[in-house]
Amino acid sequence: MSQAEIYDYYVLFPNHHEGLRLQKELKAAGIKCTIAPTPREASSFCGISLRITEEDLEPVKQMIERHSIKVDGIARIRRKAAIWNKSC
Amino acid sequence: MADYRQMWTDLGMDLEKHDLLCEALPDAFAGVFLAQENRPEGMDYFNFVVAEIHGVRPAELVEHQKNGGKVFGTFCVYVPDEVVFAAGGIATGLCGGSQFWVPGGEKVLPANTCPLIKASVGARLDKTCPFFRIADMFIGETTCDGKKKAWEILNQDVPVYVMDLPQMKREKDIAAWEDEIRLFIQKIEAVTGNKITPQALADNIKLINAKRKALIRLYNTRKNTPVPISGKDALLITQIAFYDDPARFAAQTNALCEELEQRIARGEGVFPADAPRIMVTGSPMAIPNWKLHHIVETSGAAVVVEESCTGVRYFENLVDESPSTLEEQVRALAERYMKINCACFTPNTGRIDDILRLVKEYRVDGVIDCSLQFCELYSTEGYLVQQALKEAGIPVMHIETDYSEQDFEQIRTRVEAFLEMLGK
Repeated sequence: MSQAEIYDYYVLFPNHHEGLRLQKELKAAGIKCTIAPTPREASSFCGISLRITEEDLEPVKQMIERHSIKVDGIARIRRKAAIWNKSC
Repeated sequence: MADYRQMWTDLGMDLEKHDLLCEALPDAFAGVFLAQENRPEGMDYFNFVVAEIHGVRPAELVEHQKNGGKVFGTFCVYVPDEVVFAAGGIATGLCGGSQFWVPGGEKVLPANTCPLIKASVGARLDKTCPFFRIADMFIGETTCDGKKKAWEILNQDVPVYVMDLPQMKREKDIAAWEDEIRLFIQKIEAVTGNKITPQALADNIKLINAKRKALIRLYNTRKNTPVPISGKDALLITQIAFYDDPARFAAQTNALCEELEQRIARGEGVFPADAPRIMVTGSPMAIPNWKLHHIVETSGAAVVVEESCTGVRYFENLVDESPSTLEEQVRALAERYMKINCACFTPNTGRIDDILRLVKEYRVDGVIDCSLQFCELYSTEGYLVQQALKEAGIPVMHIETDYSEQDFEQIRTRVEAFLEMLGK
């Protein structure tokens, strides 16, 4: 699979407290996730999101449900080739 | 997503312009940091800080001000944070590591000023950084000519207090810095309205020492082969140290170090054991300047130590915690801060000694002496640094660059040639 076809999934939150709650639960359950700045394609607001893999989508959704974590959806974003920041 | 737009509006920021920075950050961070293999899990905290960089910490500082507290913005590792915290204030680094802020600085500064100064001034005048808007007062120092004049320009827009750093290291210079710290205490007491007691200063000397110890522990892990954490991640942590809450930062860094120490015990690293080990020395790399580290570490080598103000100069040497009177404490602060070896001193042979020592401690294969463009002190001192390294038989290359992407591939070509020459 070429890099252009890799997709990442970003769980979006109304605030960082909910994001950190989910991260804690996922970590305790051994489900891999990474705190990431929210990509612009997913939301125009800044702040954290949790990057997860496609295989973990269902367990993550279950975890969100089980712990009543407030989310603003899960975005599917195509991974870009590693870049150097042009304007940052 | 968290919406900080009301806070930014209240801070008088240019939201439209600032949004361009918000837009660029996620992709840049993903490309430079998240794309790395086998990153330590403990980096999640630092990812969090970056993701919320203009949100969570600025909101804490605003809250502090609502409760009557003051915030002091600093630009240099010589400013004693201990004094600010002892008066119930908060000291925060003011970062100028992005090309985004440079044109704003060039409106009032000559183009041949170093990008760090241009970006710092631009971030304030363009109203695109909350930290620059929040600080009640900026604390400048006399570490280079560009900064000295920039303070006068900034002072037209925001109060700037300047500490006069001596430029030699004789006993009388240490005594002069002691005097400057006394004057600084008076200024901070006047602005905060709080008296600094020996007990408060003792507590905060311990607080800042704890942060230094966490960074020392982090850097010690980088002495191992294979190295358990990338240079990019270590640089990011050091950059964050300048403005995060000191106690929280130390706790999170120590938690990461536990993970790194376990990696070392397992022989696990983020680069192959035979990857060239590189030291970067020279001008500071303020957040989000990750340019050179990104080039080196995507060319097959690991940056294992930075001899810079965003490296060991920031945290080596602790302040003596034993004094109990203000007079003795100020002396201890002056002695510790005057051990920092900045190129603004003449002579500055201590820096050469540090570099040669660090080469051994971190088992460095090659040194990249990197100056920011128009940073005349580090560029000029580069002659002596390279001379000493050549005499010691250590491969060294000099790079002069700014924050732009224009020379990115040229630098990559030079770095790749240098790494090939190391023959590893």
